[in-house]
Amino acid sequence: MKKYLPKAILTLAVIGLLAGITVTYEKYRGTDLSRVPQLAGRRLQAAIVDDTKRESVTLVAVASSDVASDTGKRHGYREVSASPPYVEEGLTLYPTIEKGMRTPFDLWRYYGRGVSSFGSPVLPMRFDQWLDFHRKQKPQLMENVRAYMESRFDFSETPLPNATMSGGKPIMKGPVVRPPKGIESFEELASMSVEEIREQDIFPYKPLAHPLQSTAHMVFPREWVRVHPEHERIDVDMDIPESYLPEFPPPLYLTTHKELGDVTNGREVTLDNFFEIFDGLLTPEQMEGLKELLRPTPTTWFNHTDHRITEKPSRGVACFDCHVNGHTNGAFELGPDSRPNMARLRVDTPTMRGNYNLMQLSSKRSVRSMDHFAEIEEYFDGDPGMQQSIGPRAAKREVTNRMGDFNSIIDYPPAPKLDPLMRLIPKLATEQELHGEKLFHGKAQCAKCHYGPAFVDDYMHDLKLERFFVCRPEGPIKTFPLRGIKDTPPYLHDGRCPTLHDVVEFFNLVLELHLSKEEKEDLVAYMLCL
Amino acid sequence: MLDQTVSSYRSPTFLRLALGYVYLHFGLLKFFPDLSPAELIATQTVMAFSMNILDATTSQFYLAILECAIGLGLVFNLFPRLVFGMFIFHMFGTFLPMFLLPEFTFKIAPFAPNLEGQYIFKNIVFVAAGWTVLMPEIFSERRKEKAIAKVTLEQAPESQERVEYEKVLA
Repeated sequence: MKKYLPKAILTLAVIGLLAGITVTYEKYRGTDLSRVPQLAGRRLQAAIVDDTKRESVTLVAVASSDVASDTGKRHGYREVSASPPYVEEGLTLYPTIEKGMRTPFDLWRYYGRGVSSFGSPVLPMRFDQWLDFHRKQKPQLMENVRAYMESRFDFSETPLPNATMSGGKPIMKGPVVRPPKGIESFEELASMSVEEIREQDIFPYKPLAHPLQSTAHMVFPREWVRVHPEHERIDVDMDIPESYLPEFPPPLYLTTHKELGDVTNGREVTLDNFFEIFDGLLTPEQMEGLKELLRPTPTTWFNHTDHRITEKPSRGVACFDCHVNGHTNGAFELGPDSRPNMARLRVDTPTMRGNYNLMQLSSKRSVRSMDHFAEIEEYFDGDPGMQQSIGPRAAKREVTNRMGDFNSIIDYPPAPKLDPLMRLIPKLATEQELHGEKLFHGKAQCAKCHYGPAFVDDYMHDLKLERFFVCRPEGPIKTFPLRGIKDTPPYLHDGRCPTLHDVVEFFNLVLELHLSKEEKEDLVAYMLCL
Repeated sequence: MLDQTVSSYRSPTFLRLALGYVYLHFGLLKFFPDLSPAELIATQTVMAFSMNILDATTSQFYLAILECAIGLGLVFNLFPRLVFGMFIFHMFGTFLPMFLLPEFTFKIAPFAPNLEGQYIFKNIVFVAAGWTVLMPEIFSERRKEKAIAKVTLEQAPESQERVEYEKVLA
């Protein structure tokens, strides 16, 4: 007996330790987003069993005070599943990651909450170490990014014959997304049921994450960085080839001076030349607004402090650094609408052309006016935790109003084949384009959301892609206007569809349209006219 | 002399339990992502060591299993050879961040560690403790007896157990 006593005591101690840690854990984070989903699940399941047992108890018991002591288990009137749905789905928690560290490319598989909603302007290491860290990490990261993109897309850079953007840049042919292994064609894929696609995990249009989501922030195209070396990042580069991005510099059309066409005459509008280009064309308010759109302001990672991703201190980023010439250069960032950073969706820069016609702006935030938009975008990540260090929001309402004044005169590119009611003029359009238009308004269902002068309904829609693969649902996202769509590749908010052909394939799957190959080509031909 | 020899072949129980406890406790914490203060550095190191084949969650899970196994082995004094192997492997791993993630472990490499670096560097005491605890267990009883016999014979060649000791040495 005595012989086994020490071992018994040790065993009890180990059991005690296990129980102690479990209890500690539960106190530490007893929420639905618990980082130990199984334990939380079991706890809730027990609560449900308790509830069903109590059903035999009379109403008096429900009203009595002893139920009050059980309220922790009852969870009000909500149906509580045995484990949270995202756990049942097979999602895993975001890994613990420090600023600058690599993040998974398949972030759709993850969920969870962050440590805090508020950021800190402190780096996890000294700045010289930060530089060293990224010098070491970046080459390997970019190699992996290239391999990952190569595994998802076939960037063969084949141009579409006779199709160019408004400024003359060739438009690329698609679809460039690689069909899933074992599937011969997109037609074969489209013939499969939603359940089959989900079961075999072969949906080819999964979200794109920021290649370095722990730091994230703006990633500029190479073409831009060549001209603006101050935006060269030490940690990550653009992952989409230039030919699949918008032209640079893009033309700028004004609603007030249609006769001038591209008012910039092929130049990039900068603080140096804007006065010369626009003096005598704009109102004083518009001129001031334009100046503000060109004035750099500090952002979370482009600023004068050590909390930055440029080798030298940065003056910041201006609106027109991404929305170059009021359009877009294809730079991407994370949508500023959610936390933790790893849950934020990658967003391409949307064009500012035709914003005057939009009743709703931004992909997720339902911003209702251009003035408000200018106000909130000034400090891009909008993190009050950083402002003391990096700089406060400085723009006054009068100034953001004027930014809105300029924003509201940026026009769409010309579309000579469209009549005033946005239908193709039969004399000018080809058979294929006319057939595409018919499909657009009919079988392909595009016009359900894309209608009116800008081909947009100004609503947010949830495409419910979680039907097709296991993922954290992205939720509703704002419909994008299709007017001038040929000028703004890559498509969808995160650029997962690099060409218009990919967009058609995407919607063919998502809306289960069963379009034929010819019909898809016709739709693309039509969209090139918009 | 004899006492010294015998004690050098005896594993210090308290040290063994203390070491085992620390392994087990901190190992258990690693089963719960978010609780272990070493999570970031540990998982990143395992990920780097596995050439990114393991993701963060899996790395942490395996590391938790390894540490708990070592902890249980030490606490219950089980499979000393296996535990010693795992212990050395683990200790080797704990020093890796110094080389793989110097930015996260040093203020100025290689002499001024930060808090994490200091935490890792003090593992050298763990190595010494583990060695002290496990080596005597690994030495077989036979070798222990041999050593005792040798010392005894040297000290008291005419003792009564001489024949027995000679047998042991033979």
